[in-house]
Amino acid sequence: MEETSAARLNPTTDTSGIMPEFDPKTMRSSKPGLKRLIITTTVLFSFLLGLPFLWKSVEIYRSPLPFHDIDSLSDQIESTPLRFPCTFHAVFVGFRSTDPGKLRSEIQDGIDQLTHRSSQCGSCNFSLSVTVQNPDDQCSEAIDYNPSSCSYRCGVVKRYGFGVGLDDAVDESLDGVFSGCSGHSGKVYSVFVVNRENANGEDDEVKAVVGKRRHAWIVGSGLEERYEDVVARVSEVFVKVFMNGGREEDSIHGEFMPVGSDGKIVLSFSLLNSNPRDWVYDWDFQRIDEALLAPVTKALAPIANISVESQVLYHTPKSSFSSWDEKLQSYIFKTSDLPFFVNSNEWHLDTSAGASGRSKILQFVVYIPSGNECPLQLQLPNGEISKTNGFISPMWGGVIVWNPGNCDKDSQSLSRNTISPQDLEQIVEVFLGQFRQLFGFKSEALYTSGLGTYKILPSERGFTEWELDVLSRKHTCFNLHSCSTTLGSLSRLVQSLPRMIIKDEIGEQVKYSLKAAKLAQSNASLGGYSSSASSSREARSLAENAFFHPSIMSVSYFSYEHCFAVYSPFFLPVAGHVVLAALREWKRYKQEKAKYLAWLTRKKSA
Amino acid sequence: MKILILVMLLCYSFASSSGDTTIHTNNWAVLVCTSRFWFNYRHMANTLSLYRTVKRLGIPDERIILMLADDMACNARNEYPAQVFNNENHKLNLYGDNVEVDYRGYEVTVENFLRVLTGRHENAVPRSKRLLSDEGSHILLYMTGHGGDEFLKFQDAEELQSHDLADAVKQMKEKRRFKELMIMVDTCQAATLFNQLQSPGVLAIGSSLKGENSYSHHLDSDIGVSVVDRFTYYTLAFFERLNIYDNASLSSLFRSYDPRQLMSTAYYRTDLYQPNLMEVPVTNFFGSVMETIHTDSAYKAFSSNTSKINSDMPLNQLSDQDLQNADIPNDELNTEKQKCPYTQMRADLHEKLEKLENVDTVVNLSIAVMVLVVIVSSSVI
Repeated sequence: MEETSAARLNPTTDTSGIMPEFDPKTMRSSKPGLKRLIITTTVLFSFLLGLPFLWKSVEIYRSPLPFHDIDSLSDQIESTPLRFPCTFHAVFVGFRSTDPGKLRSEIQDGIDQLTHRSSQCGSCNFSLSVTVQNPDDQCSEAIDYNPSSCSYRCGVVKRYGFGVGLDDAVDESLDGVFSGCSGHSGKVYSVFVVNRENANGEDDEVKAVVGKRRHAWIVGSGLEERYEDVVARVSEVFVKVFMNGGREEDSIHGEFMPVGSDGKIVLSFSLLNSNPRDWVYDWDFQRIDEALLAPVTKALAPIANISVESQVLYHTPKSSFSSWDEKLQSYIFKTSDLPFFVNSNEWHLDTSAGASGRSKILQFVVYIPSGNECPLQLQLPNGEISKTNGFISPMWGGVIVWNPGNCDKDSQSLSRNTISPQDLEQIVEVFLGQFRQLFGFKSEALYTSGLGTYKILPSERGFTEWELDVLSRKHTCFNLHSCSTTLGSLSRLVQSLPRMIIKDEIGEQVKYSLKAAKLAQSNASLGGYSSSASSSREARSLAENAFFHPSIMSVSYFSYEHCFAVYSPFFLPVAGHVVLAALREWKRYKQEKAKYLAWLTRKKSA
Repeated sequence: MKILILVMLLCYSFASSSGDTTIHTNNWAVLVCTSRFWFNYRHMANTLSLYRTVKRLGIPDERIILMLADDMACNARNEYPAQVFNNENHKLNLYGDNVEVDYRGYEVTVENFLRVLTGRHENAVPRSKRLLSDEGSHILLYMTGHGGDEFLKFQDAEELQSHDLADAVKQMKEKRRFKELMIMVDTCQAATLFNQLQSPGVLAIGSSLKGENSYSHHLDSDIGVSVVDRFTYYTLAFFERLNIYDNASLSSLFRSYDPRQLMSTAYYRTDLYQPNLMEVPVTNFFGSVMETIHTDSAYKAFSSNTSKINSDMPLNQLSDQDLQNADIPNDELNTEKQKCPYTQMRADLHEKLEKLENVDTVVNLSIAVMVLVVIVSSSVI
């Protein structure tokens, strides 16, 4: 349009004849038109205006994650190991002239020596009080400054009446000797040292017992004379028993944490009749569960959510052979062959359809040998016969070999036999031993340490209260550590993949996980063992849920290159033309304008 | 200064001890055949052979994830239906009892494979399809199919690239899903698949170097296709001599590969793997030897008290009662079943027939009606 009009104008200027030197190749007499330039630039601008909208529409939704909080949590856990307040109280009964302050500092030294002042995660931040009660039932105390701590009611424990009855009764009676105990700080670990009058010369032995709750007592005569020994033993009880739970090492490894990452354990009990042609045994599992297992699962509730299932299987031979021993009149299976005992191809143990993916299943197998290898005994490397006839595999579970009372297969009736309640109780006792072993606890009734032996009273709940406290402390620590590393990995992963979609669900899980972790930390510092254990479990489980969220999958989201490749076929062909047209028009306009200016200067000079 | 160094040493020893003392507790195997179609019969046979071997050496089915892209056993071209062989002597049917395929057919995708490795499943995915390993696990990852430079083809539709694999392994390491991982790959240019790996604890072995092909071992003229690949064939030959008690080391396995027989060069990448291969038994990966600890003592929680299980009630009586109780829901189930419309209708009909006194008249009557109907319909036509 512009060109033709210019062409039409040129002859008119020619006809006027005023300008003789007009060169139509380099000059023009009229102003160049702007119409085409405006049209092309408007189209280009509308494209450019659309760009932000496009950008917005292909944007990826990323729920904001609290990276800073995650970092600070892991820094905090790394730098200041979590420690729990523990209140220790030593009561010396029947000591005449001993200064409680001196005793206290000596016990404190003893504890420090045993713990090496290490501030490992899950250890105790203890406060120590000492009471000395003289034979006239008058007390002098050296109390650690702690306003809410319990106080010993002076004179309650009598030196004569003590330790006369059964240990269980003593344990019960000790529960009421502290007054003013309330709330979290009510958990007082106490050691009573009772010095008896050495009147009749008998019972010179020093007897040390650790009870089911949080008490221990050392009874003996003439203790005041060798009180240094006594002080060492008191500090040993505090450290080795109450703080570390009678384990060899302080730290607890992953393989003795048989709790699924969602905080659940499924105890799967299987009764295996290896050859049902010889005999078939059944059990009344309902009653075992109600009477014996329910207290255990309830006691462990803060540490894990435990469910129980059972099954009876037939035709389940073990995978390795035993040999007949004439002297022992039984078939012998060496413990060195135990790795080949479990026959994973014939024992279909994993039936747990109810367990979700990340729960831990612990298998407990009661194996009834067939008629041609009955009775079956496990033999230890030193030639002794195993007392429990059972073994564990860490993180897997345990196996108990149970021999029927009568091994003559011809004499047995073909009908179903039922394992008698007494036998079941023994089986459950072995199971508890194995279960405790899986958690890293020993089950011997006597605990021997450097300075002597301690009798440890077993609890019907499978774990004594002080053991549960140890478990709570260690598991809180483990869970928080695991939570912070999981969240740390997640945040690194998320930051390394800028085009990954992060759903709101993940953001929420991370938020709640951090919240639960904070709660666990604050509960721990207040001394709420079970509440901190359960919230740390929740924190870990939520962190795992966030990390293992199915939407995080590197093949299912696009990189920038991919995004460009997807959208460029839509826009690139058109956008190229638009940009090119605008450029061409701009160039043409500049050229035409230069021509016009040249004409103007020529006209002026003329 | 000295104290600082001491503290650092202590910290270091603690950190290293907490990391390394994790004992090996279990074994897992992920066996993947990635190719489809009948002419790739040998890949399925490879995978099933490995499956059989690791099962024989003690890895239970629930800890084996078996991914088979195509079902050769039921292919119409299979001369031996429901059977798969890896040798032309047809002595060993690989598709016998108890083959538990976890992912089959179109489920074998790169996405599912990476989900298995990284553990990111939908909630509904059952336990048997998940790799539930932990920080004490040894994992064997065996893959076979068609590959190329830094990729492995999945079902002619997708590719697993070497950096995808490395990324998944890295995430597994990050989340401590394994203690040691052995990757064994039988494809062309298998060695290139390991190029991007950088996580410690990973041992990789491939059938061929870059630029080399992996060849099949022999052709079965009855089946009409090659039945096994060379690398896998010689691997199996090594394992056939072993049982679960054997202590053969990984280096003896690696030494058993002869490049002239393989017609390619087996490649192992050991720079990420700490232990000495001479001392690592093959059963660390290809079998499962349980770590066991003897239980020294029972926990005498009940011995002091009277029996907690109520022994007053005679056992038989109770079990009878239980049986009765157990029967009741069954009855309810049955009555519910009768409510189903079809059975209900049949039952009603049956009842009515019972009630009828003379069946003969009914039969006669109905015959008469039928004759009438036939007459009417034929006359209309």
